[in-house]
Amino acid sequence: MTAAAFKSSAEAAPRSGARLLVSTLERLGVEVVFGYPGGAIMPVYDALAGSKLKHILVRHEQGAAFAADAYARKSGKVGVCMATSGPGATNLITGIANAMMDSVPMVCITGNVAQGLMGTDAFQEIDILGVTLPIVKHSILVRSAADVPAAIEEAFHIAASGRPGPVLVDLPKDVQFATTSEDYGFHIPNETPRIDHDAIAAAEAAIRAAKKPLVYIGGGVKIGRATEALRAFVAATGIPQVSTLNALGTIPTDAPGMLGMLGMHGARAANHAVQDSDLLIVVGARFDDRATGKLAEFAPNARIVHFDIDASEVGKLRAANVAVVGELKDGVESLTARLAGGPALDIQSWSEDCVQAAAVGAYRYDAPGEGVYAPALLKEVSEAAGDDFVAACDVGQHQMWAAMHCRFSRPEAHITSGGLGAMGFGLPAGIGAKLADPSATVVTIAGDGGFMMNIQELATLKRYGIPLKIVLIDNSSLGLVRQWQELFFAENYSEIDLSDNPDFVKVAEAFGIEAFRIDRRDQVSDGIQRLLAADGPCLAHVVIDSRDNVWPLVPPGKSNAEMMEGS
Amino acid sequence: MSNTIHIQIDRADGSLQRLIGLVERRGFHIDGMNMADVPGSGGAFRHIALTVRGRDAGRCIDNLGRQIDRLFGVRRIGNDIIQSEAA
Repeated sequence: MTAAAFKSSAEAAPRSGARLLVSTLERLGVEVVFGYPGGAIMPVYDALAGSKLKHILVRHEQGAAFAADAYARKSGKVGVCMATSGPGATNLITGIANAMMDSVPMVCITGNVAQGLMGTDAFQEIDILGVTLPIVKHSILVRSAADVPAAIEEAFHIAASGRPGPVLVDLPKDVQFATTSEDYGFHIPNETPRIDHDAIAAAEAAIRAAKKPLVYIGGGVKIGRATEALRAFVAATGIPQVSTLNALGTIPTDAPGMLGMLGMHGARAANHAVQDSDLLIVVGARFDDRATGKLAEFAPNARIVHFDIDASEVGKLRAANVAVVGELKDGVESLTARLAGGPALDIQSWSEDCVQAAAVGAYRYDAPGEGVYAPALLKEVSEAAGDDFVAACDVGQHQMWAAMHCRFSRPEAHITSGGLGAMGFGLPAGIGAKLADPSATVVTIAGDGGFMMNIQELATLKRYGIPLKIVLIDNSSLGLVRQWQELFFAENYSEIDLSDNPDFVKVAEAFGIEAFRIDRRDQVSDGIQRLLAADGPCLAHVVIDSRDNVWPLVPPGKSNAEMMEGS
Repeated sequence: MSNTIHIQIDRADGSLQRLIGLVERRGFHIDGMNMADVPGSGGAFRHIALTVRGRDAGRCIDNLGRQIDRLFGVRRIGNDIIQSEAA
């Protein structure tokens, strides 16, 4: 415990730990909880009946964790999932890791066997606190019913404050059953470091000295609610920008000066601008290897100004010449204000060169043939859905095509498993995002590999009538692995063939979900209209050529200057 | 070159595992460890001195310190990281 608990109410009627959990969640403003019951969490499910919480019963605990993650990303609130002990808890693990890697605020509540049985290999006993230690921001084992409210409040505070992340709360069954009249409140002071104004002055000096400055935008900007501050900075300075996968939409896709995504499947103009730049202004990004390529050759001429709320990210992979640790919004606003007090930056020709390079390198959509060209289809989906568009992507080629070709007007419009790259994310993520924002046009973009990993959640869509739209891009193979085998493993295609996939239209229909197939390019526009116009959930099964690759590509371990282009 | 890091840690479930796991996961060997209750804390806090060594030249002790700072119920105390002679 990081602060002292205090008694917030006089003696109340005795309540069980399970009821205290539910009432604390209600008091914290939780509306939706994703979960799956089981033996060691039955008292909690007993207390859920009749509560104000809307519990979404998924069909696999991994779906609960992914849905809670996407709910958090879309709503900006803490996502909540729950599961029983043992297999229920271990099934959450990939989702917890996903939230950790992408800094998503999430509270995961697990039942456990009674304390007297812990450590005896009891039925469905797993040391889930121990198992999850490397993939949580924090974890709490609650040892008495009276500690439940404080533990839950602490978990919510830790999950959402500073750099967000998942927090696990493990509740032994005897704690859920035990009753107490005590009810503790909790207050934890916010301890975000204050912005160092000397560092802001140093950042200003670095920018004024630079001839080729570039903003490298990370997912932290969205998480830190600094999108408007960053847009104002960019508008005021005219400095061109590149974006990580998780930051797409922070600056709208089509804004002048937004050169696109950097990295392995980055835009040519974005990667070249990074390599040419003499100053990278890194905002809420962490020099991930998929963004930097060969680190030693990344932005070789650039000094680094690094803004992050997490001090341990500064200098982790690339030394910073200037470090600004604290809330990104405060840091960026301070920098904008300081720059506004001086003369305009003299970067006109650099900016124009960058914009010109982006125009020359713009993606083309006139691929030959009559088959569906997935990049064009995904671009059209995003344009047809407009500003209400939210993509919930799975992992693979379709994910990269979505990142490169969809139009994103805001960062919340792009929900993707960035750091972990967890196949199976797309469908449950779509469910979470749609429940977080029913007015949005949420489209799950999945491949045939990842879709099969959580296909059972079609039942969740049906049960709650969630009008999620699904674009299933089917190349009958594990496409990104296939592409690497073609390019880097001498076309030795090992275990990537999925040509015996089920008929996805029939599968969806068996779950009671409208579905149809798109085989040819001339069916695309009508298909997109039908998908978006459907009242309920709807799946478009899009068949593409298994030989289609994602271009351009920086080969693994190479410098971002060495981009490969397909024929 | 080894470094000794002085840490105060809450006696909470998993706290020791959390600390040791972090140090090893971030690429450091633990060459020595001393632990004692913090006097007057009634057993609520423990003082730990960890002697650590990076697995390779790329492991930065300052960054490990900042990683430790991120843990809850765990804090570096005293004069941050105390450098010692080669082990």
